[in-house]
This record gives sequence, C-alpha cells and structure tokens, in this order.
Amino acid sequence: MRLRLAAMLAGLVLTATCWAQATEYQVKAAFLYKFGGYVEWPADALGGAGAPFTVGVMGAEELAAELSQITSGRSTSGHPISVRSLRPGDPLEGLQVLFVGRDDAAHLPQILDALHGRPVLVVTESDDGLPDGSMINFVLVDDKVRFDIAPASAEHGNLRISSRLLAVARRVVGGQS
Amino acid sequence: MSEAVSERKGGRSAAGVVRSGAGALFASVLIAALCAVARAQAADERDLGELSLEQLANIEVTSVSRRPEKLQDAAASIYVITAEDIRRSGATTLPEALRLAPNLQVARVDSRTYAISARGFNNAIGNKLLVMIDGRTVYSPLFSGVFWDQQDVMLQDVERIEVISGPGAALWGANAVNGVINVITRSARDTQGALGVLQTGNTQGQYGFRYGGKIGETGAFRFYGKAEDYNRTELLNGSPVFNGWGRGQAGFRADWSTGDDSFTLQGDSYRGHGELSAVGQPTFSGTNLLGRWNRRFADGSGLRVQTYLDHASRDDILTFRDTMDTFDVEAQYGTPLGERQHLLVGGGQRIARDETLKSLLIQFSPANQNLRWTSLFAQDEIKLAERLKLTAGAKLESNIYTGWEFLPSARLAWKPDSRQLVWGALSRAVRAPARVDREFFFPGNPPFFIVGGPNFVSEVSNVFELGYRAQPTDVLSYSLTAFRSFHERLRSGALPPATVQNMIEGKSTGLEAWGSYQVTRRWRLSGGLTTLAQRLHTLPGSPDPTGPSALGNDPDYQWMLRSQLDLPAGWEFDVGVRRVAALPVPALPAYDAVDARLGWRANRQWSVSLTVQNGFDPWHPEFTSSGAAVNQIPRSAILSVEWRP
Repeated sequence: MRLRLAAMLAGLVLTATCWAQATEYQVKAAFLYKFGGYVEWPADALGGAGAPFTVGVMGAEELAAELSQITSGRSTSGHPISVRSLRPGDPLEGLQVLFVGRDDAAHLPQILDALHGRPVLVVTESDDGLPDGSMINFVLVDDKVRFDIAPASAEHGNLRISSRLLAVARRVVGGQS
Repeated sequence: MSEAVSERKGGRSAAGVVRSGAGALFASVLIAALCAVARAQAADERDLGELSLEQLANIEVTSVSRRPEKLQDAAASIYVITAEDIRRSGATTLPEALRLAPNLQVARVDSRTYAISARGFNNAIGNKLLVMIDGRTVYSPLFSGVFWDQQDVMLQDVERIEVISGPGAALWGANAVNGVINVITRSARDTQGALGVLQTGNTQGQYGFRYGGKIGETGAFRFYGKAEDYNRTELLNGSPVFNGWGRGQAGFRADWSTGDDSFTLQGDSYRGHGELSAVGQPTFSGTNLLGRWNRRFADGSGLRVQTYLDHASRDDILTFRDTMDTFDVEAQYGTPLGERQHLLVGGGQRIARDETLKSLLIQFSPANQNLRWTSLFAQDEIKLAERLKLTAGAKLESNIYTGWEFLPSARLAWKPDSRQLVWGALSRAVRAPARVDREFFFPGNPPFFIVGGPNFVSEVSNVFELGYRAQPTDVLSYSLTAFRSFHERLRSGALPPATVQNMIEGKSTGLEAWGSYQVTRRWRLSGGLTTLAQRLHTLPGSPDPTGPSALGNDPDYQWMLRSQLDLPAGWEFDVGVRRVAALPVPALPAYDAVDARLGWRANRQWSVSLTVQNGFDPWHPEFTSSGAAVNQIPRSAILSVEWRP
C-alpha cells in the first residue's frame, strides 16, 4: 500500500519533470498541430465537414508519436486530425500537411515532384529545406524551436499563410516560385 | 522566457529527481522509464498544444538539464509586450510601445518628455522604476529616473519587452521599487537580411535601416541606423512651445555560440538636439558597449558574466548639464541543489564618474562625483511540495550615500493544475538617494530655495502582493494582482530655503488585471485595468508646504481594450481604446484615446500601415506637474512603410 502511494507520488513528480524536459520534437509536434489554424487550404482540399485533416510524417518516428498524442481528440477547423507515419515512396494522397524529417530530407525533391502543386503544406527541418521548395522550415535558435516561411512556395500549392504566422516566423524568405 | 527574466527570476534548471549516491543511476533509469510511461499518458504533451505560437517559439528545448520557465509560472506581476503587439500597435517609439503594458502608467508630457511609472508616483522625473535595455541599466543616477528622449532601439528588432510591476529589488537592486522594465532585442541570428523603414506623419518622421549577416558558421551580426524628428507641441491656449527635436542613432549587435558557450557584443551611439535657439531644449549624446557571456554546464548549472561601458551626456542650459561615464560588471551562477532546490547567486560592481556644470536653474555641489555600487545577491527556489514553490532571496547593495542596503523578498507559488497559478509575495525595496537628493542646489546661484539634504536617506517600501493567473480555455487567459505597499521615509520638502528630507509616509493599494481572448482565428481581444489608492501624509513636524502631491500625480484608474483583426488578402485592422482617470494635483481631467491602425502586407518585401493615434480628439493633455505649463498631445497620423528585400 505504502509502495503504491510512493509510486503515485513519483508519478506526479515525474509528470512535472517530463514536462520540464520538453524535447525538440514535442515542440515541433505542437507547432505542426498549430500550423493548421494559420494556413488556408482551398475549400475542396479539406473535404466535407468531419473529413479527417491528415498530417503525414516522414523520417521522424518520434515526432509522429508526439503528434498523435497532442492531436488525439483534437480537431482543426472542425476536422478531426489524423497522423500518418510515412516512408519514402509511400503514396501521398489525402494529406493536408507533410512533415519531412532530417533523415529523409534527401528525398524532398522527389516528394515535391510527386505532390506536383497539390495543396499540401510541406514542413521540413533541414538547412536546405526552403531552397529545395519546402514551405516552412524549422530551425533551432538559442535552443528554441523557430521556423522560416517561404510564402511563395506555399502559394505554389494554393495555400495562404496568415500574417499572424508570418509574424511569428523567424524569417520570411523567398522560396521557389 | 527571455534570457533576463528566465535567468534571474524563478527557476531554470530541473531540480533532478535524482537522489545522491548509489541511488542516482537507478533513479535516472527509473525516471527515463516513467517519463516514457507519462508520455504515453499524454497529459503533458497536450499542454504544449495549448500554448500560443509565441509561447511555443519561446520554449527552451535544451536538454535534460535546463527547463523552460513559462510566464505562467512566475510569481510576480509580469506582462510581456510581444514584437507582434508592438507591430500591430503602430508604436514608433519606445515610450509609445510601453503603453501596451496594462501595468504601466505612460503619460506623454510634451514633444520629448514622458512620465512613466508603475503603481503610482508618476512624474516626469519618476524615480522608482528600473529600466534596462538588453541588460544595461538606463536610468540616470543623477535623479534615479530615465531621460526617455535618450533611450531608443530599432523597434522592429525588439523581441519582447518584459514589464514587472512591483518590487524586484531582491534580484535587481535599489530603484526596482515599483517596477522593472527590460527591453530585449532579438539575437542577431534572428535579424538577418535587410530592413528599411520609413515613417512619416503630422507629428513626426522616422527613417531606419538594418542589415544582418552571418559570421562564419556559428555567429551572426547586424548593424542599424535610424534618424527621427518630432514636431512641437502646443500649450492649452494654442501657443506653440519651441520643443521640436530630433535624434539619430546607430548601433550593432553580434552573437556567437560554440557548444555550451554563447557570446553577445553590442553597442549603440546616439545624438539628439532640440530646436535651434530654443532655451531649455537640451542636446544630448551617448555611446555604450556591452559584452555578455553565457556558459551552460552539464550538471544543469549556468554562468553568466556581463559588462558594459556607458557614456551619456546631456546639456540643457536651463536644468541638467551632465556627463556620466559608467562601467558595470556583473556575474551570476545558477545551480540545482539536490532534488528540490535551485540556487542563484551573483554579484556586481558599478562605478560612474559624473561631471556637471552649473545651469541657469540648478547646480550640483560638488560639481563632480565618483559613484560606486557594489552588490551581492542570492536566491533559492525550493519545491516545498509537488505543486508548491517558495522563492526566497535577498540582495545586499551599497552606494556612496547610505552604505549597505538589505533587500529581501519571499515568494510563494501554488499551482493547483497546469492552467492556474496562485502566488503571494513579501518584499522590501528601497530607492537609494540620487545626486539630486543630496547634492542639488536650486536655483543655480544663492540664495538657494532648495538644497539637497546631507541627511537624506533611502526611501523604503514594504510590499505585499497576491496574484492569480489562469488560462481556463485554449482561447482565454487572464491575470489578477492585488498589492499594498507601505512606504516610509519618502522624500519631502520644506519652506525655502528648503532642505530635502524624508518625512512622508503612507500606503498605496491597488489592483492590476489583464487578459486576452482569441475570439476567432482572426480576431483577438485584449484588455487591462489598474486601480490605485494612495494614502500618503507628511509626518508631524515636517515643514513641507506641498506635501505628498510633489511625489507624483496619479490617476485612480486606467483601462485599455485592444482588438486585432486579420482581414483577407494580408490586411489587418487594429483598434485600441484607453481611458485614464483624472489627475488630482494639479488637476487634469480624465481622457479617452482611440488609436486605430490599418495594415497591409502587400507581399514578402513590402508592408504598409496607417496609424491614427488619438483619433476622436484633436488634442488632449496627458500629464502635468506643479508649476509646469500643460502641453497638448495632438492627434497624429503616421504612414509607415517597411521593406524587406
């Protein structure tokens, strides 16, 4: 009995401690969830009410897991969020957001080719992300997760990024247009 | 949180849950395992999803050893003005940006002068506020106040402005009696590329340019220059005052980091002048250079060393003719102590050489003075129970007039759940004598009407605070603070020839409340209210003919409401309304001001905005003090163009 109590207390302490140690991927996952609220998709890209809002995650298992937890039971603009773990070469149909992790960054050009201007918000975390055509690229600045935005690349996919998101961005830069 | 507050206020390092000795390894394995379990339960990751974009962007994701301090956890009345708030307010100067903090009273006195305070005692020479720009103290030891016309930054490169109302003396030292303002500019890494700003309107014009680039792999720099001018204001009867003025400023900042070390080097130089031939319109100039080094250690501790040189000169043939050279060095070290505590210790030394000339109205005797402050502080943060945290600290600070001052504080924070915080604090703060209290003679030649008091000692405030902060839903957050300050030995006067004394005492009581509500994705409302009741009296036997009204002219309340609306196609429409209650002595009626801004982000390179301040009123006065002519603050319209190639 006493042991169980101790375990419960430990659990409480740990909940706080784990929070305290928010990892890079937890913060990135939270951002990915938030982005949905600050980007406008063309009306037909989201499906009807209740249709899932699908975030694909490639090359970042940990982020996919974090994102599933953050988004479970949550929705964005009335669409329930679903997270799909992807590997290079997987079909990219039905995605609204695609995150390409560092490990699969080399595949970015093929991925963008495959998307072919479809309204998918492409988010990366590599140095060459934006020049390669990504729309939002995470960077670590002073141990904080920040991001750069290339609105022209987003426009290429018929996406409009709100000024509020642009204002929080570290940099708004010229992407491929 | 920003560097400054996060490193000085509250905790940073996770007090490890690790027991000492042989249990440590076992404990850390256990923690790792249980963290994974906790993660599976997902309670806490969900919390991250509830933070705003700005909050997320400010979470430190440093490894195990450092923990982000969320604003919600600070046991103090803190308001943070974000870069986005500044941009959308249309503010073009630092004092105007400070109007965004609900816990500050900002009153424009005339074209160049502002009276800015928190919790009362507002005055164009307000002396109970500590103001810093990137960690450099900018209040003048001449009168413990700020020459606001001398302080400027490139507002577009400001990351945030932290405003703490209430005492911060236990960490920040003497003068942090009623509040602390810390203006924090962005790291050079965050200001890459070019930026051009052009602002023009019926009351002012401003031009600015910044360029930022990289230094090798690990460093970045920026430099900037700006020039501005401000038109005259008018008196109540419409006659102009010859107080038009202008200033120019240039500066740079460089940041590097290598592994666990980060360095900052920054400096500014400025010059300003009043209208030619106008008496009482000062010229001023200044230069400063600051270096800072941060080191993070593997055990979760951190060291910070900062030093700066500051030269400031002001020549006003009517009043202050002063040249101040300051050297400051300070260091602080923070480390976890066992599993429940985090200790922060530090010390600093500041020396200044102040040289004055006799002006038409005043002189200092001695004319020149060497000033010196030495300080030591320690603060311990103790986790009393899972949700209960005590922060106890004290600062010892010496000055040349009164020797060592003791500045303790204790703060208790209870966090019933992740969305609420209840806190209380007891603090003792002092306002140490300034030169103007001790070595001041008015007028410039005998017979003198006012002389500095050789026996003038520090003013003391003992402050009780109680606060509550909550974020009941994803879209609503608010903060409430109640305070009562007991003041002793406040500055008082006497019949001419008057020697400055310490014979006023009393209390101030007030409330500070603010909140924000994200109504829809595109519409955000925020508002704030402060109230203040002051009961001050001169002590029996005091020969002061004026009484407490000389200490400040404060409204009973002020409130503000702001709306930020995102419109389609890159347009933004923002409105701010504020009311400031009447000022008692000398009396000035209450005023309402409505500001509006229409902005358009045309594309990546260009954005344009039109800001109208005081839209429904051709002019109104905002502040007056005994014997001073009342200036009208006019309606203004400012067209602003920003270019980022």
